[in-house]
Amino acid sequence: MISSIGKNVEETYATLLTEKSAIQQGKKKHTERFKVGEIHSSNAELMQTFGLKTVGSRTALLGMIAAKEAFAGHEFRSDVRTGLISGTSVGGMDVSEEEYKTEYNGEKSNPVMYLHHPSGTTTEQIATELGLTGFVNTISTACSSAANAIMMGARMIRTGQLDRVIVGGTDCMTNFTISGFRSLMIFDTDFCRPFDESRKGLNLGEGAGFLVIESAESMKKTNKQALAKLSGWSNASDAFHQTASSPEGFGAVLAMRKALQVANLQPEEIDYINAHGTATPNNDLSESKAFLTVFDGKVPAFSSTKAYTGHTLAACGGIEAVIALLSIQHRTLFPNLNHVTPIEETGLTPVKTVQENVDIQHVLSNSFGFGGNNSTLIISKI
Amino acid sequence: MFYIHAISSITHQNSFRSEDVNENLEPISEESVLKSPDYKEYISPVALRRLSPVLRMGIAAAKECEKEVGKPFDAISVGTALGCLTDTEKFLKVINTVEGDVLSPTSFIQSTHNTIAGQISLDLGNHSYNMTHTQNNLSFEMALIDGMLCCKEGAENVLVGTADEAIEFLNSLKPSIFLAESNLTSGATFMAISPVKKASSVAVLDCSTHFGTVDLKQEIEIFLAKNDLGLATISRIFTNTDIDLVGEKILYEDFSGLYFSSAAFGTHMAHDWLQKNPNKYALVVNTGCSKNTGLILLKNDQA
Repeated sequence: MISSIGKNVEETYATLLTEKSAIQQGKKKHTERFKVGEIHSSNAELMQTFGLKTVGSRTALLGMIAAKEAFAGHEFRSDVRTGLISGTSVGGMDVSEEEYKTEYNGEKSNPVMYLHHPSGTTTEQIATELGLTGFVNTISTACSSAANAIMMGARMIRTGQLDRVIVGGTDCMTNFTISGFRSLMIFDTDFCRPFDESRKGLNLGEGAGFLVIESAESMKKTNKQALAKLSGWSNASDAFHQTASSPEGFGAVLAMRKALQVANLQPEEIDYINAHGTATPNNDLSESKAFLTVFDGKVPAFSSTKAYTGHTLAACGGIEAVIALLSIQHRTLFPNLNHVTPIEETGLTPVKTVQENVDIQHVLSNSFGFGGNNSTLIISKI
Repeated sequence: MFYIHAISSITHQNSFRSEDVNENLEPISEESVLKSPDYKEYISPVALRRLSPVLRMGIAAAKECEKEVGKPFDAISVGTALGCLTDTEKFLKVINTVEGDVLSPTSFIQSTHNTIAGQISLDLGNHSYNMTHTQNNLSFEMALIDGMLCCKEGAENVLVGTADEAIEFLNSLKPSIFLAESNLTSGATFMAISPVKKASSVAVLDCSTHFGTVDLKQEIEIFLAKNDLGLATISRIFTNTDIDLVGEKILYEDFSGLYFSSAAFGTHMAHDWLQKNPNKYALVVNTGCSKNTGLILLKNDQA
């Protein structure tokens, strides 16, 4: 994975242990007015540092970096059908918005650049860099995209259509999305404070997070040891409002319950929740209420790691799945930074400091998107 | 088998609520326009004012399918190649022109790809699985593969569909990007699929996609062999490219025009043709752009 807290999994883990956020005042023209979690490398620098050969949008480059890291040590072989499913919400908008602006200002633009625009092309560029052909798909359900890509991969494997699949998501920070969230007035000008009574909104971030999931059958061929098991998944629709969550978190409750069902687990068996926790007043209250409903008042340890990374939109489900894996592997809970006061209405307190030597069997990870798109993944220790 | 219990298209043809879309097809010309139904039947006047063509088409075609099957969907799987272009361009204009801090969020909200599926769930009050796939010319096939997965997992009434809209800006890019001679078109096709056989016996047997096709003919043969069939058993091929295959071929793009999820309309044409041809097989071959191939095998399973 790559995000503002690290350019690979190892760096990410090290940063998570420091309890220090990477969110700071933006350093680019379109981010300088906001507190963001940005990656301080230009596209050219990213291509050079990571030895990328395929030209692509920033979204695609970030995806290539994370997908290559995830697939390192694996190889393509004809008897292991390998797919790629990536989630993205902006696709190549970073390229298009520059081109559009150029043309809008009456300067000479290069229309061929718009070929980078489609979200599907972003994934094809990642596939090209990996050298992958065959099943290549893109999911775009706003902030739940990566979680849905992971779920789709699991379902393709379970029905025997693929043996192994690289899944996750990627989004870079564009002026388009920054302006969009500004128009919705859900930015906090200060550092975001998920699940805190004083929370005012989110900080944006950028990044990509990918995992390789493989059937047990295929692992016998490839001689690989799994890091964990993807045991549950679900998507449900809140069907309440195009952007806001229902006050009681109806869709979130459905998604969490269905995922528990797929995993064949009882709510009390969940040891830790990596919450969606964007720090908007609406999401965190709605998600908290959904926790109280699903866990019947006995909410397990939970935190939102978005105060570290910022909200990486379509990528967050992938990034947070990697963080869930790190939790299981290192028996460590990572904190919900900047939390002081529980939300008055729900009284829930998240994990506030790094907690080590915790036995974690099952982690539940939520990702919720615009359009009332609610997704839950459950990752279990092997 | 995944039986198609309802299918509805809004295109440049008189396809909406048509008994057989293959009747009265007109080749797409420069003058062709999107034949929009009276949306007031499906969408409230207030909503209609803020909804772009792609959203209108998607909602109306989806609602028509629900009306035909007469029960709520267990899952909704939508594909769109380029998403909500009208609102995307509107918001690009806003950020290039509006100074100051107050921006109208409407076009941003409606610019995300899953606005189509999300708006359908909102309008139908549907809380089930809700997915949006966007894989260039394979967007319909991806939505269909997901819909078939939902059926395999127990769903009995799944909405599968696609919608894509042409905007003037896209046509302005045509000389530099697209090889097409005619203008780009718009279109939406939605269908209700089910593992349960009912009145309709036309079914999707299989769907496959491939990024990086080298030998199309071989790929088709492998796909058919996987289904214990050969090219000789296919009565009609609906394709968007003049492929070198023996058999009766219909070029669906002559009638859908060019939009990247038009394989869905090719499938609608195949469906309506099969309805009149019991126990026959049809194949939709989509090799729209670059090295992407989509294959959809259908059958009228009347026997």
